[in-house]
Amino acid sequence: MDLAFSAEDDAFRDEVRTWLAEHAPREHRPHDLQAAREHDLDWQRRQYEAGWAGIGWPVAYGGRDLSLTRQLIWYEEYARTGLAPIDARFVGLSHAGPTLIGRGTDRQRADHLLPILRGDVVWCQGFSEPEAGSDLAGLRTRAVVDGDDLVVTGQKIWTSFASVADWQELLVRTNPEAPKHRGITWLICDLHAPGIEVRPIRTMDDGDHFAEVFYDEVRIPRSNVVGDVDDGWSVAMSTLSFERGTAFTISQVQLSTNVERLIELARSHRSVNGRPAIADESIAQRLARARADVAALRALTYLNISRNAHAAQPGPEGSMLKLEDARLNQEVYRLALDILGPRCLELVDGEDDTYWVERQLWSYAASIGGGTSEIQKNIVAERLLGLPR
Amino acid sequence: MDLTLTPEQAEIVTSSAAFLRTRLPSSSLRQRLDSHDEVDAAVWSAAAELGWFALGLPEDRGGVGFGLADEALLFREIGRSLAPGPFLSTVLAARIATLAGCDELAGRIVGGAERVGLVLGGGEQGGVVRLLDADQSFVVALSPSAAALVAVDALHDVRRVRCVDPASSMRRATAGELRPVAIVQDEVDAIGRRGHVLAAAMLTGIAEAARDIAAEHARNRIQFDRPIGVHQAVKHPCAEMAVHAERAFAQTAFAAVAHDEGRRDAEFHATSALVVATEAAERSTAATIQVLGGMGFTFEHDAHLFVKRARVVARLFGAPSDHLAHLLTLAPAE
Repeated sequence: MDLAFSAEDDAFRDEVRTWLAEHAPREHRPHDLQAAREHDLDWQRRQYEAGWAGIGWPVAYGGRDLSLTRQLIWYEEYARTGLAPIDARFVGLSHAGPTLIGRGTDRQRADHLLPILRGDVVWCQGFSEPEAGSDLAGLRTRAVVDGDDLVVTGQKIWTSFASVADWQELLVRTNPEAPKHRGITWLICDLHAPGIEVRPIRTMDDGDHFAEVFYDEVRIPRSNVVGDVDDGWSVAMSTLSFERGTAFTISQVQLSTNVERLIELARSHRSVNGRPAIADESIAQRLARARADVAALRALTYLNISRNAHAAQPGPEGSMLKLEDARLNQEVYRLALDILGPRCLELVDGEDDTYWVERQLWSYAASIGGGTSEIQKNIVAERLLGLPR
Repeated sequence: MDLTLTPEQAEIVTSSAAFLRTRLPSSSLRQRLDSHDEVDAAVWSAAAELGWFALGLPEDRGGVGFGLADEALLFREIGRSLAPGPFLSTVLAARIATLAGCDELAGRIVGGAERVGLVLGGGEQGGVVRLLDADQSFVVALSPSAAALVAVDALHDVRRVRCVDPASSMRRATAGELRPVAIVQDEVDAIGRRGHVLAAAMLTGIAEAARDIAAEHARNRIQFDRPIGVHQAVKHPCAEMAVHAERAFAQTAFAAVAHDEGRRDAEFHATSALVVATEAAERSTAATIQVLGGMGFTFEHDAHLFVKRARVVARLFGAPSDHLAHLLTLAPAE
């Protein structure tokens, strides 16, 4: 066991840090979704031009195929810029792109991978439905083969950035007679096609990047099927093997940074009775525990990456990372509210304290999106401990 | 950066686990409980012969020359197996005696002839200090800046009290000035910090053992015609134990390696490891009793022994709140 990075990796870290310091966007990411899209794509373009796009993608598809250690270094340094961990580029880079790399045809890869890396397009995800959340295989959006097209009718929900996206990874039911996991197809959906309606969903943190998407006899060419018709579930599962432990690195580093900021805040902020918040024993203990917990989350990240570097396939340990990330996000930002005192009730644009209030409101989603904490616990118990389903 | 085990480290785990399983099964612990003679001298000698008390000592001082990371793997197995005996304090004592130049005493400790106990951390309470496993001549005493060996007969009013953990022997003594026979300053060698990491390792092993007991029961116990583990109310606490154990291991490994590599934030990571592993062990041992139901509450089942050992190990070097307070005084992790 060792924590040392090689001299070459240290030099790589310096290179990344320097480049990010010079080139990371300094202006605030716009609130307006269309402006945010342009902001995010511009940033992607600049990364592409400087050779930083697709660090984990194979070289054959425009990536750099960096080692897991170097990907970790990139994400750690990226986190230190304070840029948003998730923006409009996320699905293309981390989900749709890898899926096409793994299961796409040469034509599909040629059509879509470079535009993602170059920052030309935004992708979104059409998976969940009102009746199919944790039970994704229960999805009902129907696709009927008609000549060279599939005709899609149905609805998707919780689709981030749908209103500003060009393409969508779309899971549809092509065979209602088959057992539910076996009648699903993975489609590349052009969101500008006729018959598609996007309705934004406002979330409790005043975010508006969520949306519902309605499909009314939308025609999608057969050439947009990824994998085989009715084999879409295996295509969706294949995406998971691309994630080898780095997904939560940015979140984990930003949490560590924020715990330290909260310690500073607690030392300087006067509570209602005039003493600094840190003089409150329970706040001090919770801050100390938060320090230990985020240290352990980083150690867990390193352990996971170390294992995945030796393994052909990532194991179920990734679920433990997500569980801890969600739990700590919720605990740390709840602690922030207690440090702020009555100021935690206000949302004032431009005031520093509002950052904590907004993060705490967002944090309810951390244990829900991307697989609920309940599902993650089922996975840990069933696949790691062998408990029965 | 690689936190997986080397083949040599995997061998430490396998061989020490095998030794503990065959020479110190929990049945042997129970046989000795009433006799107030928790430690089997022959087993202790065998452990000495395996080099357990010299694992982390430098080769040129008669040691095996391994790192704290390797010792931590051994202590994780000791925790997991519930092996009775002052392994941790004896390892620290061997180091204190060796680095202080007390070669004769060091030789007896390393060779297994001298078991060494511990003055419990956290200071005196109402004029009383507590001693753990002080069955022979010496105890380890830690201060915020040094690690020392003290002779038991230099203490006053030493009297035995019954410990909640039946496998630990506890004594009270009157607080007074402890005159060390050997002392090592932290800036020469941070022995206290090693103790924190090894305690975290033991607590990790305890958390893992509790998790495995609970999972096995959840898989096999049939009620209402199905294994109880099908229910999320049982499944999820088991999953939480798995997460606790994994975090404890990851942070303890990180802390041990950070110490071996001389990182400036080694103290931060050692303290964090003890905090995280304490929580893992305390929550997991309690949750295991719940999963076991009525059987978990019996003396006959081992579950309560894990609860009680965790309670002792978590307090070897002070109260859990002391470690939290200390963590807040340190510079941030790097």
